Amino acid sequence: MASVGRSVPRADAESKVKGEAVYGVDFEIARTLYAALVRSPVAAGRILAVRTADAEAIPGVRAVVTARQAPPILSGLALDDQPLFATDVVRYEGEPIGAVVADTLAIAREAAGAVRVDIEEMEAVATIEQALSDGARWVHEDWERYTRAPGISEWPRSGNVCGEMRAEPDGIDEAFARADLIVEDEFRSDRQYQAYMEPKSATGVFEDGRYTIHVSHQFPFNVRDRTARALGVRPSDIRVIGHHIGGGFGARLDVGLEPYAALLARLAGAPVKLVNDRVEDLLTCNSRENAVIRIRSGVTRDGRVVARTFHCDVDAGAYATDTVLMTSLAIFAAGSVYQTGPTEVLSRAVYTNTAPTGAMRGVAGPYLYFALERHMDNLANSIGMDRRAFRLNNLITDGHRMLNGQVLEDGGIVETAFSEIEKIAPWAELGKGPNRGVGIGAAVWLTNPLPGQATLKLEVDGTLTVNTGATENGSGAVAMGIRQIAAEELTVAPDDVLLVFPDTATQGYDGGSQGSRTTHSAGRAVQEAAVEVRTRVLQMGARLLDEMPDAVEIAEGCVRVRAQPQHRVTLAEVATAAMFDKGPIMGTGSYATPLPKYDPDAATGLLFPTFPTPTYHVHIAEVEVDPSTGRVDLLRYFVAQEVGKAINPAAVQGQIQGGVAQGVGHALYEGLQIGEDGRYRQRTLESYRLPIACDVPRVQAILLEHPDQAGPYGAKGIAEPPIVPVAAAIGNAIADATGGAIARVPMTPEDVLNALSET
Amino acid sequence: MSLVTEVTFSANGREVTVPASAEATLLQVLRLELGLTGTKEGCAEGECGACTVLVDGKPVNSCIMPALAAAGTDVRTVEGLAGPDGLLSPLQQAFVDGFAIQCGFCTPGFLMTLTALVEEDPHPDPAQIKQALSGNLCRCTGYTTIVDAVLAATGNGGRS
Amino acid sequence: MELHSADSLEEALDRLQETGGETQVLAGGTDVMIQNMRHEISPSALLYIGRLDDLRGIAHNGTVDIGPLSTHRMLATDHIVRRVLPALAEAAGSVGGWQTQEVGTVGGNLCNASPAADTAPPLLVAGTRVRLSSQSGVRELPLDEFLLDRRRTARRADELLTGIAAEPCAPGTAEAYLKLGRRSAMEVAIAGVAVRLTLDENDTAVEARVAACSVAPRPFRARATEALLQGSPLDPDSVAEAGLMLVREASPIDDGRASAAYRRRVLPDLLARTIEVCRSRLADRREE
Repeated sequence: MASVGRSVPRADAESKVKGEAVYGVDFEIARTLYAALVRSPVAAGRILAVRTADAEAIPGVRAVVTARQAPPILSGLALDDQPLFATDVVRYEGEPIGAVVADTLAIAREAAGAVRVDIEEMEAVATIEQALSDGARWVHEDWERYTRAPGISEWPRSGNVCGEMRAEPDGIDEAFARADLIVEDEFRSDRQYQAYMEPKSATGVFEDGRYTIHVSHQFPFNVRDRTARALGVRPSDIRVIGHHIGGGFGARLDVGLEPYAALLARLAGAPVKLVNDRVEDLLTCNSRENAVIRIRSGVTRDGRVVARTFHCDVDAGAYATDTVLMTSLAIFAAGSVYQTGPTEVLSRAVYTNTAPTGAMRGVAGPYLYFALERHMDNLANSIGMDRRAFRLNNLITDGHRMLNGQVLEDGGIVETAFSEIEKIAPWAELGKGPNRGVGIGAAVWLTNPLPGQATLKLEVDGTLTVNTGATENGSGAVAMGIRQIAAEELTVAPDDVLLVFPDTATQGYDGGSQGSRTTHSAGRAVQEAAVEVRTRVLQMGARLLDEMPDAVEIAEGCVRVRAQPQHRVTLAEVATAAMFDKGPIMGTGSYATPLPKYDPDAATGLLFPTFPTPTYHVHIAEVEVDPSTGRVDLLRYFVAQEVGKAINPAAVQGQIQGGVAQGVGHALYEGLQIGEDGRYRQRTLESYRLPIACDVPRVQAILLEHPDQAGPYGAKGIAEPPIVPVAAAIGNAIADATGGAIARVPMTPEDVLNALSET
Repeated sequence: MSLVTEVTFSANGREVTVPASAEATLLQVLRLELGLTGTKEGCAEGECGACTVLVDGKPVNSCIMPALAAAGTDVRTVEGLAGPDGLLSPLQQAFVDGFAIQCGFCTPGFLMTLTALVEEDPHPDPAQIKQALSGNLCRCTGYTTIVDAVLAATGNGGRS
Repeated sequence: MELHSADSLEEALDRLQETGGETQVLAGGTDVMIQNMRHEISPSALLYIGRLDDLRGIAHNGTVDIGPLSTHRMLATDHIVRRVLPALAEAAGSVGGWQTQEVGTVGGNLCNASPAADTAPPLLVAGTRVRLSSQSGVRELPLDEFLLDRRRTARRADELLTGIAAEPCAPGTAEAYLKLGRRSAMEVAIAGVAVRLTLDENDTAVEARVAACSVAPRPFRARATEALLQGSPLDPDSVAEAGLMLVREASPIDDGRASAAYRRRVLPDLLARTIEVCRSRLADRREE
């Protein structure tokens, strides 16, 4: 193929290396005013008074806004529990209480600091344990009155438990009775901040009764819908226009500053821009939730897992947002890579007085698989079996039935992944030598099924324009993948496929760059659109060539007679001829991944019910620990990943290297810890340690290509999974190297020293 | 003794004089006064390197450099790397060819640090490159394509 | 807030005489600019001294005179410093990343007096004396008496740090600085140890100087540790004992980077390894 399968350069590479690409933070329009949010300095308390006089007196201040000027609406992604501005109580450090609009950002920030907020501080519900304890204060006194967001089914919640997914199959006790040994483990994971390099921002405009929001965002249609609900208007009253995105990793899927930009633009009568500084961004970001996981498995001496209970408590923070959906992930992780016998799964999302958590790449996966794979190592060690052999002994096969009743028809691919990775990472040779260890992390992951839509326009010069709300978050799914698919379909050069930015007013819908779905879903939509374009092109081309439509074909950017290829017309000529004949040539495609069959009775509260377009992954890490400092040296790292079809191999490798790097950060360096007062201990990039170049090894990756029937050219989602098994593989390697317990993420040098001194 | 309210320096070869308050940083002056928005603010605390520019050939974090401190210096930003005809510098081209860019927000900072590196040492090895990049954070790529791009641009083509 | 730029030392000292109490001296700015933005300090004026070129540079006149405006990068690459103050070169080369090193100054590092100031331990084991100038005159004091406490020095509000004089490493003497952090580089130290060792022909320590940072409110000379090492053949037991003494002399705290317990645990080995580096440097030199 001419484009698909080749490492074609990015469409936006040149503008990015020249510093010309305009990101959300760079976007400016005339007459813009700037705003800063007044944020709660404490994690919990009652608001007694908000005094704005000092702020209003500062020259250059145009407006000081509080809850009184905002619509009295509670909204949320799944549960309507969150106001725009806190009214009676504050529930997390950084919660917006008001806003200042001013001539410059500096004045707005200064004035925001001059707003006097009197808060009667309450003791923060700072931890999951506190939230769940008897007599715990409810973070939401009115939790019972909250209603669900439209389109979400019921789920159980009570008090500080805002989400719960429960799977309780029969036969658990009997299954445990058959075990020779029972192993119980508890694992913990700290929060992880997405730490995209571009801080969040939003510019709002209010004109002719409609709002326009300019933003760098992974999911403009969600910005539209969530902002509409927050402001009490119709979705079509809001237009969201996207710009270059300086990283998202899930943090830019839900709304952040956008509803404020819109509201303040209306109140101020001028465009209003908000920009987070890094500290503010870190403190208030919808970071990956912290979690506590308890696993109990029964195992036989000949190496079979026969029963399991899997309990998981995750911290939703002060508002439910999408963390209630994350509880569903537990049912997939608990029984997808390995056969486990009857398995009980309980996952709860809990309110605390901390920043609301949310989606980060590989949602819930990194901590779920850390727990599962560390537990697998412990199980293997408990019966004295080799850790790889034990895994192979329990591995799923084709036709495996997951705990939600969904069947993994191609589940045998995970065994293929094990044997392929063995070729580049021979198990018997790794982790040998003093203070060295080797670990495995294996995972099954999904491709998000949300719908996508695209329009293809054939221009009179023979170029193609793809008009889609699909977002380019840096992965290359649009700047490379979509472009290459369109180019392949119409036999033009990728450079002749032009892209535009998302605009919710003129595009159908796109489910956002999440769950690795863009290439798969938007790519399919592009293919559907291409079918329409091809049909019209062939009809027009046949007429121009005076042939029947079935005698001509599209090749080399032309329509040509199959039997006499030199007899041809260019796509430009076809488009030009069509213009005043049948009209401009355009095609539209829409696609939504059909959900796999599953058993709705398998669990209650299963808000995210299936793993569509599953993919299979095996990671192996080799480490060396320093016995005097506990520092971990990542010697080598290997990945075997099922991709369906690599539309752009360099892009796929880039996602693997980048995803593993974020996993290394999660495993060894990053972690937002919460103090007793509910405030973050790590508050800047000085204290929140991101991996630097010296910290990240070169990943050696093998791509497995078992084409997906539905995906464009067989492509499956590839960008999320590389982060998912990393903490697992590294954790197992460190445990192997130290011989001690590794049960917490991040694994600090102190944890390593503790593990070493156990033995 | 001068009470500073403006600062004069050379920006990508062109002498400029811009207003500068006491708190003004070189980054603010570049972006707000000169419209050179290729240089980015990632953290405003000298940790991430997204704001890296060259001052008299040395990479500095412009987000914490007082604008005044640039007086009389030669400041180069990412906008000054390509030739007047738009021809990309060897490093820029190597980034494009080598897929060393994903979201691209960190890219200007990396290019400036690396430009200084190869001006000082035309053939750095992978360890030197990574060490030189200790003050530049990338959240997307995992760094290896960036290191490879430098090797390719400096004729060491191939991988570390 | 105002910003004044001094064109001469006279002008700088004049301004400090008038308004020293509310004026923040600004050199490279890598600490001051951040502290100002975070509102950890709120001076009414900044005094930029970056134009005082006489305060920048390194000269070897028996002692090594280091201009306080010398950047970390200068110290890391200067051939004099690398030859006769190698621990200082190592320390300076570990302060932040390249960008920080090009702008941050050793004078700023000392006057900021962070407990984690990397240049302090090597300067301490080099018996460094600092010079403070004001309109009322000039005075000198040992660095050990200049660094008083976390973020507190002996500098009066009307004084400017104008000189840093360090004793070079003599023949028979070697030194090293080792630093422990979470990542591979770009770190504020979890612990940093500098050692300067003089050995006789029997490999017995004739003189030992030890200094540490990040394990006490200020970087300090570990005198009791030095006393244990002095006259010792530096066998593993003696070194281990010295390591435990260093832990006793330190007073580490829990902070965002590491716990006090971890610091206590790693300090003895950090000392042992720094001593080992010194010994191998001396051995290498003998072979030459």
